Amino acid sequence: MIDILKRITREPLGFFGLVLVTLIVASAILASVISPYDPVALNIVDRLQGPSARHLLGTDQLGRDLFSRVLFGGQVALKVALVSISAALGTGVLLGMLAGFGPKWLDHIIMLFFDTIRSFPTVMFALATVALVGPSLGTVIAVIIVTSIPNYGRVVRTQTLAIKSNQFILAERAMGVSTRRILFVHILPNVIGPLIILASMDIPTVIALEAGLSFLGMGVKPPTPSWGSILNDGYTLIRNTPWPIIAGSIPLLLITLGFTFLGESLRDLIDPKLRKGI
Amino acid sequence: MNTKHPALLAADPKRRDFLKTSGVLGLAALTGASEIVFAQDRKILRIRTYADMRSLDPAYSQGVVDEEIQSSIYSKLIQYKPGREWGYELDAAESIEQVDDTHIRFKLKPGILFTGGFGEMTAEDVKYSYERILDESLESTNTPDWGSLKEVTVEGKYEGVIVFNDPYPPAWNIALPYIVGNIISKKAWEEAGGKVDTTTPCASGPYMHHEWQPKQKTILVRNPDWHGGEAAFDEIHIFPIDDENTAQIAYESGDIDCTRISLGSVASLKASPPDNSTIEEYPSLYYVWVGMNVENEIMANADLRKAIQHCIDVPSILQASYFGAAEPSTGIIAPGLIGHRPQSMVPPEMNIEKARESLAAAGLGDGVSVTLDILNKSANVTTAQVIQATCAQAGITVEVNLHESGAFWSLGDSSAGERYKDIQLILNRYSMAPDPSYATAWFVTSQKGIWNWERYSDPRFDELEAAAKSTSDAAQRDEMYREMQDMMEASGAYRFITHEATPVIYRNTISPAFRPDGLPLLRSFSSS
Amino acid sequence: MFFYILKRLALSIVIVMLAVTVLFCMIHLVPGDPARILLGPRATPELIASMSARMGLDLPLPVQILRFFGNLFTGDLGMDVITNRPVADIVFNQLPYTLWLIFSAILFAALIGIPLGCYSALHRNTWADRVTGILSVGCITAPAFVVALYSLLIFAVTLHWFPAVGAGEKGDFLDQAAHLVLPAFAIGLSWIGYLARLVRASMLEVMGENHIRTARAYGLPERTIVYRYALKLAVLPTVTVIGVGMGFLLSAALFTEIVFARPGIGKLIFDSITTRNYPVVMGSVLISTILFVISTTLSDLVNAWLDPRIRASL
Repeated sequence: MIDILKRITREPLGFFGLVLVTLIVASAILASVISPYDPVALNIVDRLQGPSARHLLGTDQLGRDLFSRVLFGGQVALKVALVSISAALGTGVLLGMLAGFGPKWLDHIIMLFFDTIRSFPTVMFALATVALVGPSLGTVIAVIIVTSIPNYGRVVRTQTLAIKSNQFILAERAMGVSTRRILFVHILPNVIGPLIILASMDIPTVIALEAGLSFLGMGVKPPTPSWGSILNDGYTLIRNTPWPIIAGSIPLLLITLGFTFLGESLRDLIDPKLRKGI
Repeated sequence: MNTKHPALLAADPKRRDFLKTSGVLGLAALTGASEIVFAQDRKILRIRTYADMRSLDPAYSQGVVDEEIQSSIYSKLIQYKPGREWGYELDAAESIEQVDDTHIRFKLKPGILFTGGFGEMTAEDVKYSYERILDESLESTNTPDWGSLKEVTVEGKYEGVIVFNDPYPPAWNIALPYIVGNIISKKAWEEAGGKVDTTTPCASGPYMHHEWQPKQKTILVRNPDWHGGEAAFDEIHIFPIDDENTAQIAYESGDIDCTRISLGSVASLKASPPDNSTIEEYPSLYYVWVGMNVENEIMANADLRKAIQHCIDVPSILQASYFGAAEPSTGIIAPGLIGHRPQSMVPPEMNIEKARESLAAAGLGDGVSVTLDILNKSANVTTAQVIQATCAQAGITVEVNLHESGAFWSLGDSSAGERYKDIQLILNRYSMAPDPSYATAWFVTSQKGIWNWERYSDPRFDELEAAAKSTSDAAQRDEMYREMQDMMEASGAYRFITHEATPVIYRNTISPAFRPDGLPLLRSFSSS
Repeated sequence: MFFYILKRLALSIVIVMLAVTVLFCMIHLVPGDPARILLGPRATPELIASMSARMGLDLPLPVQILRFFGNLFTGDLGMDVITNRPVADIVFNQLPYTLWLIFSAILFAALIGIPLGCYSALHRNTWADRVTGILSVGCITAPAFVVALYSLLIFAVTLHWFPAVGAGEKGDFLDQAAHLVLPAFAIGLSWIGYLARLVRASMLEVMGENHIRTARAYGLPERTIVYRYALKLAVLPTVTVIGVGMGFLLSAALFTEIVFARPGIGKLIFDSITTRNYPVVMGSVLISTILFVISTTLSDLVNAWLDPRIRASL
């Protein structure tokens, strides 16, 4: 682990990515300590201000401090990313291994399920879900989970198929080792590394999706600060102030750079073959 | 390619030069380019509406978007008069008068022609146009606009009398000059099977419908046979653009000549207006309010409702959501209309002491938690957050529930599940036509579970509502509508916010014509 | 391989039917009565009931679904009760705009992204590579609606280089092309970064392979190796990615269609879902799902063709 970290820091972009990710995660965790204002406190008199010493990124239409909202928005973003990606990863791994290792008919059913989900454009599926249960953070997370399961599942299945035909696994099976043991002891460790890298590179996409849903009025509930809702406010306020859009874009940019470069370096170090899958 | 469509290569100062490369032209073959005319001297008015058209049949017109088109291609006895004051002017009628409470006599101008060879407009056409709206088998959504219309009796080729069962003064405000007042050709409609959809067999107004390109534009062209002389433009192009940012950008980049702009842009546009442009602010008739469901378990407590009335700070909402460009409203009837109240009983400003008092009287001195349902438009989201913040000061926790439009508009529908019972606070906005009866109609007992989501009910209100519609005396009507709004406010179920406003921008090359609420009257636009 | 293609085709049909059925059920479960929404505030309960009957909404759900697929066999997608036009007309009227948009966006992204990726690979681990990397990755999550708004403000309002809204004059190709530039840019920008990184990575991998090393041993200049030999191989995974990315593209198309007030299938689906115009929802969802399944199937085929390991497991 430490060895990997050392090797990442040797490559400038990897180091850059690591620093950014650390910074963003730390600022989100420490948001309540760092942020100068309550992110939901209104101050209508001071609305739509540009950056100043008092408000580093200015204020929004309700006079709320954008810098504080960006910091707290980091919590929302990471929560969405972590919860949805880990849930999708878990389910995807399970289904992918089952498809790859189980009987042919099960494989067919699972692949059919994956392909069906994949065939909805994400936003369309999101629209229908939001119409069904109403917009909220939970809805956003649920949509992301369902739509990303096939991505992970398919990778796991492919890897499982490849490993399954290994002499070593064939030998184990011949010796009567249980399927569960083969799956969790031999196959899981082999697929999980690449997947985590895949997932880390998916984090920006997930957060961008939240921004998109907010634009369509289908994101988080007010007054929760999220980068998507800041961007959406910025969109409607563009004729009054450019700052909300800037404030919403900066963290999105940083988190994209951070996770992509970190993920790429990890990938290069651990599994150069994965390039094709990403 | 080039030989087939020489017009493509014609010089047009508007074309962007950079694209004139042979490579791009080569690709043109793929799109099947056809029927292009680049006449340089056509006068074209390009204007925006907020939604795409749906129907060219007055019976199925869906409000202002369709009416903007229909009022340009059809004639009416009278039309809204452009300007700041509500009024009408004669169109197809040579004369029109209210004979008594239930009779309106009219005489058509002779020689008004329908296009397409459908002949001259007669009183028979008026009769057909009006009475078909009442025909149940036609299933028109606009039937209520005709109120107590009984029939139209034809007294001569051009003369007729419009007969009502009961007095119906709104006819002059929302029927004759509006959607159901459009006169169509009986012969043409009967040939078309009694109704039309997105094409129309004939016109009698200054313009004719030429083409509808769904989600792109509607094109009207000049009607050479119009009885009113020559229409100002060769063509009118109407672009459906729902996003206000986009509409303003389209204006600034020169794609359109006139548009409604967002309230947030007014200040900056006034400070530095685009070249050769005029910005005008019109009031609007829309009404925005926070409703409270009087039958909900928590909201049934009248003192809680009063506390919330006092907790909502209208000036803050107007600042934050409407950029200070809209005024507080006193009710559901806008200034300039009969029944407008000069002031509300609860002042627009919040009053934290009174709120706390009412809350204590409600037995909720320790605080209470309520939900606020809103449609997911950005102004609503901002308003909801202001309400959330000011209510919190009095100890009322407001949880905001966002809904997309499909879900929102069925919230209070009692025929679709039990959701209507869960409404506590609701931020709502209704559109309006220029007669007070159009506003109060939704809040009667029989509308409970349809559009009356507050489930407000008072027999006296219902009586007044029915009576005011058929009262001829304007002063008396005025009194009645004011009293109805007093009753609504006193119930605590309503906190009135604003009527919004309609800022418009247009190029000085055109001289536009608006209704007092800022609705463009395309037939009266001219070039200057 | 032939059998595999047949199997994929059959599977595609099953997937499309499944997807449409799932969405159909979802939309029918959501609150909101289409007749009520479509008819507006003046509608009476009788009008609403009659409209529901005309839309076939009074029938049980399974019957509605069966009817939909039954009609489909006769090439009938149903009627839009609002405008009285066949749904197929509505959908195929809007579809070309979205296809052109997606096509131009990908073309634009490929024209910039692939050379950028090659450049990075050629100059790997130099500062030029890193700066290119930061720039291109920075574009990846730029939200389409923000890019769209800014491109309009800069290129349409301030510079007047491009027209702002709509899809251009019908039949006037130059005008339509001019109207495509900014929307395609708004969608394509994020793909530039994506493709650049992808090409760089696969290029580096290809460069390590035997025949390239052989070429290098013959003393061919690096540039020649990259453009003559490596690029062809490195671009193939890109094709695959674009196929799978169709869903993202359709989603991005929705945002640009809103901001640019362009016609298109994304906006059509969005509008019809929010107004609960079921016949149009079904028709447009069906068509876009077919589109999507075609592109993923194609990309899977390319994948199978490229990777013997997957081919073996079919």
